[in-house]
Parts: sequence; C-alpha cells; structure tokens
Amino acid sequence: MRDVLEKFPGAQRALFRRYHIGGCSSCGFSPDETLAHVCERNGGLDVNEVLAHIQSSHEQDAKILISPKELADTLKEDKSVRIVDVRSRDEFEVVRIEGSQLLSQDVMRQIMGDGSNTRPLVVVDHQGKQGLDAAAYFMGHGLQNVRCLRGGIDAWAQEVDTGMRRYKLS
Amino acid sequence: MNDDLQKKISEAIANPQNMGELANADAVGTVGNSDCGEMLRMWVKFKDENGKKVIDRATFQSFGCETAIAVASLATELIRGKTPGEALSLKTEELAGELGPLPPMKIHCAQLVEGALRSALGGEETKPASGQTAAPTLLDSFSKPKEGVRITFLDEPK
Repeated sequence: MRDVLEKFPGAQRALFRRYHIGGCSSCGFSPDETLAHVCERNGGLDVNEVLAHIQSSHEQDAKILISPKELADTLKEDKSVRIVDVRSRDEFEVVRIEGSQLLSQDVMRQIMGDGSNTRPLVVVDHQGKQGLDAAAYFMGHGLQNVRCLRGGIDAWAQEVDTGMRRYKLS
Repeated sequence: MNDDLQKKISEAIANPQNMGELANADAVGTVGNSDCGEMLRMWVKFKDENGKKVIDRATFQSFGCETAIAVASLATELIRGKTPGEALSLKTEELAGELGPLPPMKIHCAQLVEGALRSALGGEETKPASGQTAAPTLLDSFSKPKEGVRITFLDEPK
C-alpha cells in the first residue's frame, strides 16, 4: 500500500469514498500490506476494479472541489449549506467564513446523525489539502452532497473576501 | 446505496432499539474510540435460563454512522436470549438482519457492531491489520490536534 499511496496521492480518499477503507483506525490498513490483501479482507473486493477506481482518484478529487466564487454564489441562494472548518481553533478564531462551524466531536456527531445524507456540506481548510481528506471521510460515511473549498480559506481570502487576512503556518 | 436499503436504515434509525448505557451490565465492549468520531460501545446483561447463561439484554452507544446505529439496533434485539457462544457465532451479515446484504462501503459499519460484541463477550476483537503498523488514516489527517503551530500574517491588518 505504501507504493500505491506514493504513486496515487488521492488513493486513500478514493478507497474510503467508495469502499470505506482507510478512513479511521477501525478500517485502516498497514503500509506493508498489498492491495490484494486489503481487498481480500474487505469482503473479497475485485482487485482490478479497485485499482481502476484508484487510478481515477485525481479526477475524482477534482469533482469534489468547489471554487470560492461558486461557494459564495451558492451561499446566497441556499441557506441549508453547512460549512465545516477543519483547521485548528486558533486559526478559526483568527479568520473564518461567516456561519461556518469548527469541526469538533459534537459537530461530527451532528453531521453523522442529523438524519439527512443529502444536505450540502462544504469542508474548509487552510489551503485545500486536509479538506479533501475530510470530504472523502464524510462521503465514505454515505453523505452524498459533500464538496471541499478549492484552495481553502486562503483562496477565499484572495478571490471572495479580499478584506480577510491571509496567514501562513510555521 | 440503493433506495430500499436506505429506507430500511432510516426506519431503524427513526426508532432505534436498545440505545444508551445499561445500568449494572455484566460486560462492556468497545471498538474504535470517541476521539476519532467513530466508536461503538456495547453493554450486555446476562440471566440464567434453564441452567444456561443467556443474554438478557444488550444496549449500545454509537458515535459512528447511521448504518452502524441501524445494525447495532437490530443486532442487540437479535442476540437477546442467546448464549454468548451462539451470539459470537453470528456472522456480520446475520447481525445486519433485515437490512439484508450491505454494499461494500457499509460492511465496515456492521463489522464495528461485530467488533463491539466480540469485545463485550470476551472474544477476539476484529483488527484489520493486526500485528502491523497502521498507516495514517484520513481521520488522522484532519482531526489530530494541531499543536505548536504559529500563525504569521502575510499582510498588514485591513
């Protein structure tokens, strides 16, 4: 799996979105396992089918992304959109999108248990990396309307809310 | 997920059975952990029936997905009156009961219930990659506490 992840950086997201593999400690895999072994102990999945799915992972990641402008437009029309911020509390307190929620265990439980798997959910991070993982995690739990803000809040600050302060982490 | 399965899960979720902590339980089993947002804990109380130790009642608490809650609800009903051995012999798909065959992405949710049951009844807990170091998970990527990180602004206040 180490080689698979190195060659296809989005593989873990692809695996969890469709097959619920690699998302948390209960369904994790070892870097030393082969893909065939992972497929075998997850209900005897077809290795070729899984491989084809992994190979298209980059393309699938791109479909999840929503641009800052598109999100801004969507928020004006659809008040049901839930924005979840996966950054640290410190970052969230410094700058955030109005109406967004910082991800916590309580928020996680609300999302998983609010009885709707179609409510729009947009994940926000700093620059667009961890957000994709979080979006895949929610999709792997059956949520059907999940997007990730392309470029994170940093892109939002450049393309939509230009008064928002940009920052870097060190 | 097909509409029929989603409907059955929604029905089970609308009126979940045996949810919550069981006072004076004889056994408790946990799988996963609440820090990662996916955890299922099961409490079991036994009784004596014709000289046999059988499960009188089982309850659960879940921080997992709705499928895990639906399966746990059905499974805790199903194991009532069974001996620990009989309950442990149930396969994952049997625990899911009337939900029927689960799609691959949902099998893990039922395995969470099976793992908690095994943990409670003293059997081996199912560990996906036992004996090997686990690779970082998606959850690790976005939910681990981010400590010691300093925020530096790139510009002057506007």
